[in-house]
Amino acid sequence: MGVVLVEKPREGVINPMYNCQPCGAQYVCIGIKDCIPLVHGGQGCCTFVRLLFAQHYKENFSIASTSLHEDAAVFGGMKKIEEAVKVLVRRHPNLRVIPIITTCSTETIGDDVEGVIRKLKRTFLEKEFPDREVYLIPIHTPSYSGSHVKGYDTAMFSLVAYLAEKSEPNGKVNVFTGWMNPGDIREIKHILAEMGVDYILLMDIEGFDSPIMPDRSGFATGNTTVEDIRDTANSTASIVLCKYEGFKAAEFLEKRFGVPAVVTPTPIGIRNTDMFLKNLRRITGRRIPDSLVEERGRAIDAMVDLAHMFLADKRVAIYGDPDLVIGLAQFCVECEMKPVLLLFGDDASKHYAKDERLVELESKVEYDIEVVMNADFWELERRIKDGLKLDLILGHSKGRYVSIDYGIPMVRVGFPTFDRAGLWRYPVVGYNGAIWLAETIANTIFEDMERRKDREWILNVW
Amino acid sequence: MPFVLFKCDEAIPEREKHCYVKAPGEDVHEYLPAANIATIPGSLTERGCSYCGAKLVIGGAIKDCIQMIHGPVGCAYNTWHTKRYLSDNDNFQLKHVCSTDMKEVHIVYGGMKRLEKAIKEAFEAYPNIKRMIVYLTCPTALIGDDIDRVAKKVMRELGDVDIFCVSCPGFAGVSQSKGHHEFNMEWMRGKVGEYEPEITSPYTVNLIGEYNIQGDGFVFEDYMRRMGIQVIGHFTGNGSYDMLRGMHRAKLNVVICARSAGYIANELKRRYGIPRLDIDPWGFEYVAEGIRKIGAFFGIEDRAEKLIAEETAKWKPKLDWYRKRLAGKKICIWTGGPRLWHWVKAFEDELGMRVVAMSCKFGHPDDFEKAISRGSEGTIYIDDGNELEFFEVIEMVKPDLIYTGPRVGDLVKKLHIPYLNGHGEHNGPYMGFEGFVNMARDMYNAIYSPLWELAKEDIRNDEWMEELEEEDGGEESGADFSGMESGEVGAEG
Repeated sequence: MGVVLVEKPREGVINPMYNCQPCGAQYVCIGIKDCIPLVHGGQGCCTFVRLLFAQHYKENFSIASTSLHEDAAVFGGMKKIEEAVKVLVRRHPNLRVIPIITTCSTETIGDDVEGVIRKLKRTFLEKEFPDREVYLIPIHTPSYSGSHVKGYDTAMFSLVAYLAEKSEPNGKVNVFTGWMNPGDIREIKHILAEMGVDYILLMDIEGFDSPIMPDRSGFATGNTTVEDIRDTANSTASIVLCKYEGFKAAEFLEKRFGVPAVVTPTPIGIRNTDMFLKNLRRITGRRIPDSLVEERGRAIDAMVDLAHMFLADKRVAIYGDPDLVIGLAQFCVECEMKPVLLLFGDDASKHYAKDERLVELESKVEYDIEVVMNADFWELERRIKDGLKLDLILGHSKGRYVSIDYGIPMVRVGFPTFDRAGLWRYPVVGYNGAIWLAETIANTIFEDMERRKDREWILNVW
Repeated sequence: MPFVLFKCDEAIPEREKHCYVKAPGEDVHEYLPAANIATIPGSLTERGCSYCGAKLVIGGAIKDCIQMIHGPVGCAYNTWHTKRYLSDNDNFQLKHVCSTDMKEVHIVYGGMKRLEKAIKEAFEAYPNIKRMIVYLTCPTALIGDDIDRVAKKVMRELGDVDIFCVSCPGFAGVSQSKGHHEFNMEWMRGKVGEYEPEITSPYTVNLIGEYNIQGDGFVFEDYMRRMGIQVIGHFTGNGSYDMLRGMHRAKLNVVICARSAGYIANELKRRYGIPRLDIDPWGFEYVAEGIRKIGAFFGIEDRAEKLIAEETAKWKPKLDWYRKRLAGKKICIWTGGPRLWHWVKAFEDELGMRVVAMSCKFGHPDDFEKAISRGSEGTIYIDDGNELEFFEVIEMVKPDLIYTGPRVGDLVKKLHIPYLNGHGEHNGPYMGFEGFVNMARDMYNAIYSPLWELAKEDIRNDEWMEELEEEDGGEESGADFSGMESGEVGAEG
């Protein structure tokens, strides 16, 4: 009984679960205020990621391309970077940051991005815009290495390593959230405010949930500033909520500037949120307030209402970003559900296999949890075809046809969730996230009971 | 007034030749916007890449073959769940996509062995599917992987499978248009003539450049059926791999999207002498004209007239209801290429609307010739338009509605302008008689939505209080708020 680790037994991918590195890098960069990421590659590398973001958020994000065409493939694409930076800086007077994100093509060609940046500073920015600081930041994310998870981690590291600068202690905590939704960010801000903790949020993407305003001013933007990132070197500590999406940056700040990095389990579920609060308490000395104890109690109350009657023993498959998957699995165990199948979609197996949260999970359960590394949706579908019984799937919308075609109820979690309305507004983290998760899972199971007329009468009196 | 340089383009004056405002008496040959030329880097183009043109637009719509993308996983991931082309094969084409998931080691040592394994694994996973398309992407093209060689080897070994290879690295060409071209020419060169379809009617056509978005192609397939015409190759919506290999047996090529698939129609004409007939599938008059031409070609004019009469009787009253409400409304068409000229006259002549600005991502000069010839004076025509230009155009023309993609749509909603999906359609089908009614219905719903009035209103503005007082005419109202500070009623924002 315990966690059984297996690798996808095939070379190719059938129905991909993960995206490639540049996508993760683009997601990080749109979280910065006054920033237009520049993707150095074919136009599709940014156009389709922009579409993906729009599918999920129903919002537009400005991301530029160096529009690599054949000539660049032959002679190198460095001139394209020069042209693109000039066009961006000249046309967007408020632009302050241009991260230059490489792709498979430009890494294969071997363009010297750092060299171009040096040249642009000398020959363009200093001459044409002497009074304006525009940061050109190289981010190396060849699409053939790792996945969007690594791309996220790499981009966060590159930005922090480039911008962070030691000055006066600021008494703040750097909060590296990992790939989350605006609902999660709102919840994290709420917790930090209740705790009375001053913080720098990386990245503050609450503004991705943007309004239509009477004066037509509402647009989706990231809100972490250059100053925020620069100031991360002066914080009391860094807290990392997703180990695989942000740790590298926090580790850098620790080594370089002595800002201690604390990795806390992704705060999904009661115990993990407790750990988050306790870690904040430890770092800042702030006491955990009554208000959060009440929220915690409300979450436990919601889960108690549902767990033994409806959720207990439900067999769950979970896929998505690694920290999300592990957090959800821990949450399932808290709610008496059985996370029997976990799927990670990239080749960072050596890290996942040693993850202390999985080790801890193993000690808690009296059944097997199969963990598939380097997985695709075929690994999920094949197991169902071969007779794996599942009561629930937790994951993003790219797996929707597994749920639809095999009639397995599914709760959309993570990114992207384009086939359900507005999910990005709701948290999965914190005590409020636990409430949302437990109740959404329950309601999804209820609808399935009614559709299949499976003990649906139990809901008459409950 | 010839070309215009938008204010936002002052830093890139070369954009001037891409933007044109039509003036009386001007000749399109004098002022034809530059099109299908290299994108200006950093201009926030809407363009995609060659791979997208080949896979997402054309190959991906074929209903009974495996899509194998030879490259890093993102190319497959990002062109999956992004289209609404249907099929009668349980939408197999929407549900599955395969990738060789290239890693660094394959970039260094070559990915052909990986491809071979991935192909075999995919055929094993889908035992009922015996056809496959393999796409070459940026990195696998750069390292020189020979996908044809791998495909031939697997075909030889497995015996009962057929594989089509297309070289469409994202950096090839200037937009998705290059991928359309590659797919067309390669299919013609490699696949057409390989299969002998069963002929069930003396009247046979290929439907070319129609992708069955939201069932558009089903509408045309139904029209053909009702006229007793057999569709052999539907290139490529609801298209079958093998039937598309039998395109050489059709007597007529009916071309719908000339931009993405005119190439194969021309090749079929050159090689097999099959005539090409271009039709416009949107708008009652255009559709009727197209059906008449097809009928005339086969000498079955009576069947064509019967179909047109039936459809018109069924749908015209509904269209008229919408026409009354849409007449005079200003609309922008910012789509891929040919929809500009397909739609402009249908909207203007049949619905009485005014198309005030048109922009396309990957149109060629001939698309602009047609769009400008058919479009009105004073209308703005833009090649490869970008975000900042769109903002400026909106200020200039103040449209009531924009037909564009979801992302630009998400941008313009913040400016209180409704958008309709000009690529995937809001609630299609949009083609044929019923489709044009659907379009009119979607436009009506979008323009007349009560939400736009609400969006404009700033409830902090106290004018409503004055209006209320005027209405009350000085009479005493039920509640007395007079002692309350304004700040208590609504916080200042």
